[in-house]
Amino acid sequence: MIIYAGPLILGFLLGFVMGTRIQEDPESNLKFGASVYAVFFIMAVIVAYFLGPFPYYYDVPLASGFVACALGIIMGKLIFGRKAPLKMEESATLE
Amino acid sequence: MSTILKIFVFPAAMIIMCLGVLTILGGHITPGGGFQGGAMIAAGFIFCLIVYGLKESPFKLSHDFLAAVESVGALGFVFLGLVGLIFSGFFLYNVGVDLYSYVPASIQSAFNYPDPTSAGIIPYLNFVVGLKVMVGLSAVVIAFLGFKELEKDKKEVQE
Repeated sequence: MIIYAGPLILGFLLGFVMGTRIQEDPESNLKFGASVYAVFFIMAVIVAYFLGPFPYYYDVPLASGFVACALGIIMGKLIFGRKAPLKMEESATLE
Repeated sequence: MSTILKIFVFPAAMIIMCLGVLTILGGHITPGGGFQGGAMIAAGFIFCLIVYGLKESPFKLSHDFLAAVESVGALGFVFLGLVGLIFSGFFLYNVGVDLYSYVPASIQSAFNYPDPTSAGIIPYLNFVVGLKVMVGLSAVVIAFLGFKELEKDKKEVQE
């Protein structure tokens, strides 16, 4: 079985970039724990299965780019998403 | 916003973003592409910004991040165009496919997207356009929400 690396690498990269931006505010009442990411990943695999692969892709029976992006988001959150949150509203208005 | 929305929107936004990424990745064989996928990813960010607000949104898009990704997108597009210009004489020549045999084999294989369709640089162009559109549309909404906060602060100071 041939695994096509293109959608896996680019999907993971895009997901990773987005995952690094997930930073929870310690002062906020909103808490998104590990269970949220577990549910998200399970849902992502189910959605990817029903989406199916692209035309001409016969490697796996699901949208591999979709799953790679979901993995990238989780990895980005785990690796870079733990530091103190940035003040987005300040940077948006003052600069 | 209601508690149900606050619980639901974050995972839903991530699923929307994954769908946007899939739209970018399939741009060379299915309907969609960099702009459409980037807009879908931005929709995920905007969904969170509207429901949680600028301060409590779990996605923190700083000015530096937006500027860096926008620059990477623009420079990546120009770089891919210049590669074609250098090796073939035509800006944005598809060096990965090389229909007219202008390009050395090593360069062709380096820029050929690894998938069964052999689309060359088209998926890479979709990728960089997707990055640009994603941060561009998000920046517009963040700026509008930031202006709203500024107006509120001004009114409070006046009172």
